[in-house]
Amino acid sequence: MTTPAIIWLVLPFLMAFTGALLPGIETTLALIVAIATVLAGLFGAMAAEPLSLQLVGPYGIALLMDRFVAPFLLLNGLVTAAVLLDRRSRPRAGTFVLVLLVLHGGVNSALVCQDLISLYVALEVVGLASFLLIVGPQSAKSLWIGLRYLLVGNTAMLLFLIGTAQVYRSSGSFRLIDLAGASSTAMALILVGLLTKAGLFVSGLWLPRTHAESPAEVSAMLSGVVVTAGACPLVRATTLVEPLAPLVLGIGLASACFGVGLALIETDAKRMLAWSTLSQMGLAVLVPAVAGFYALSHGLAKASLFLLSRHFPSRRLEIWTQNPLPLQVWFPLQLAALSIAGCPLLVGFLAKESLLKQLPGPSGLLVTSLAVGTAAVYARLWGWPLLGQRDQGSSDQGSSDQGSKAPGWRASGGVLLLSLALLLAVGLGPAGPSWEGFLLVAPGAASLKALAILAAGWLLHQLLQTVRPLLKMPNLERLDDLLGGLAVVGTALIVIMVR
Amino acid sequence: MPAFSLPLLLEAFLLLTVLAGFLGLLLRRNLFLKLLAMDVMSTGVIGFFVLLAARRGLYTPILETLPDRTADAAYADPIPQAVILTAIVIGFSTQALMLVAISQLSRREPTLQVGAMEEISTE
Repeated sequence: MTTPAIIWLVLPFLMAFTGALLPGIETTLALIVAIATVLAGLFGAMAAEPLSLQLVGPYGIALLMDRFVAPFLLLNGLVTAAVLLDRRSRPRAGTFVLVLLVLHGGVNSALVCQDLISLYVALEVVGLASFLLIVGPQSAKSLWIGLRYLLVGNTAMLLFLIGTAQVYRSSGSFRLIDLAGASSTAMALILVGLLTKAGLFVSGLWLPRTHAESPAEVSAMLSGVVVTAGACPLVRATTLVEPLAPLVLGIGLASACFGVGLALIETDAKRMLAWSTLSQMGLAVLVPAVAGFYALSHGLAKASLFLLSRHFPSRRLEIWTQNPLPLQVWFPLQLAALSIAGCPLLVGFLAKESLLKQLPGPSGLLVTSLAVGTAAVYARLWGWPLLGQRDQGSSDQGSSDQGSKAPGWRASGGVLLLSLALLLAVGLGPAGPSWEGFLLVAPGAASLKALAILAAGWLLHQLLQTVRPLLKMPNLERLDDLLGGLAVVGTALIVIMVR
Repeated sequence: MPAFSLPLLLEAFLLLTVLAGFLGLLLRRNLFLKLLAMDVMSTGVIGFFVLLAARRGLYTPILETLPDRTADAAYADPIPQAVILTAIVIGFSTQALMLVAISQLSRREPTLQVGAMEEISTE
């Protein structure tokens, strides 16, 4: 199995170069790559035993493909394919597809690699490719957003490198598993790097503005997939290193509370989705056994929402109810929103339930109350009226933002794929050992509880409607705040670990 | 007296370089100077790896002929050197990209003050 695995890892980069030499077929090549990654994910989910590779000698590159990483790979393949399909129906320009391929390959490598240096290289590739996608529009705003992203990411990765050097000093190798014997400072520095890349808690403060200001398809990729390139190794590290687990649990919960709170008072639609990413990634890293499935269910829904954000009549949430949406936007929007909120029969519900099953006492309760908050966040999308056949004509004059409204079914090819995946993922069942027992419980008590959570979320939403104008967002997203946040997180982690 | 040994002193200096770079990144108002500060920081990290490689010896780890005394020759550790070479290349390309972005931004905001940039992103 070594050769196919290596071919699959190198394929995105090869295809990117081929696409550069033979313009015109790059979308097809990229789709092949995305399909290959989906297949690799399915292989990983079904393989009896994990595929472990050690390339170029004992100090070389360690790779591992197992059931843990499979959902992440599936997510990467599906979202990339959706972005490509979405892109297909609009005018082609520049090198978007080529950079997307490199990003895809970088994420793949970051997910499967098992040594800190390969991880560093993969994360830097992901960062550079993301930067190029963010600055695609070449406006001053996108350049600044991209530059901010690169500065923060690169600084975090420099800290990561110092940690890596210390791991090598104590163990004589760069393997992820040798993190266990490393000094607490080394672990703290490596955590800072991974937390920043995963967009968690204070070190994830760069995320909302970056994800909100990027073009729709780039936001979908960033929010759905790119954050998992940091989260997956982070969770993997917690499975290998005992003392990290409670720490990451705490950070995940803090990030979830923080993200939900800020999403609730946010008034901009895309920023609200981005804050919700912060909270959902926090929930995803809580329990290693469920991490992949949770990230998959969140990533599919969130990518779909961001792709749909192109059709939003306005980004200001308060005037949404005045603009009805056509069915082909309304339906996938509601599907994705309900899935993240944890509506029964959808994949988000399964993810949330399997997460709750694995969480003991107080943190389980906290996650349940956070689910109410998440439902309240997405309740703001439920109120959106559906455009009936009758008022189809009248809406055209009503909306202010014409350019983005024109494409209908054709444009939503990618969204269609994601919606389908959302519906089908319920049947996939890579949730791990808890799956069989779960199916028995699902129709009964858990569904009722989920419905109660949704109702409570709706109530909270109605309550907040009146209070929201009075709440003011603290501005924590200037570049200096982000860099200061890195310092604070780093210092706090070192203090906690040394104790 | 291990507390004052040369490698430890060097290590302290290198970590101070990283810290100085980070402080510059944090405190400088000019975007270009911020970038230079980050370069200082990465220089510190590179030095840290080179120091790590030199723990066991300083000879360049290249065998031109096969000497009989390979075992006791004080070769530097090639692994961190190889690793940091990759990181240098990556850091270099990142810096180049950021400089391009900054030179584009300077058309809009010739002063390159961070405050003015923040205004671009909130407008």
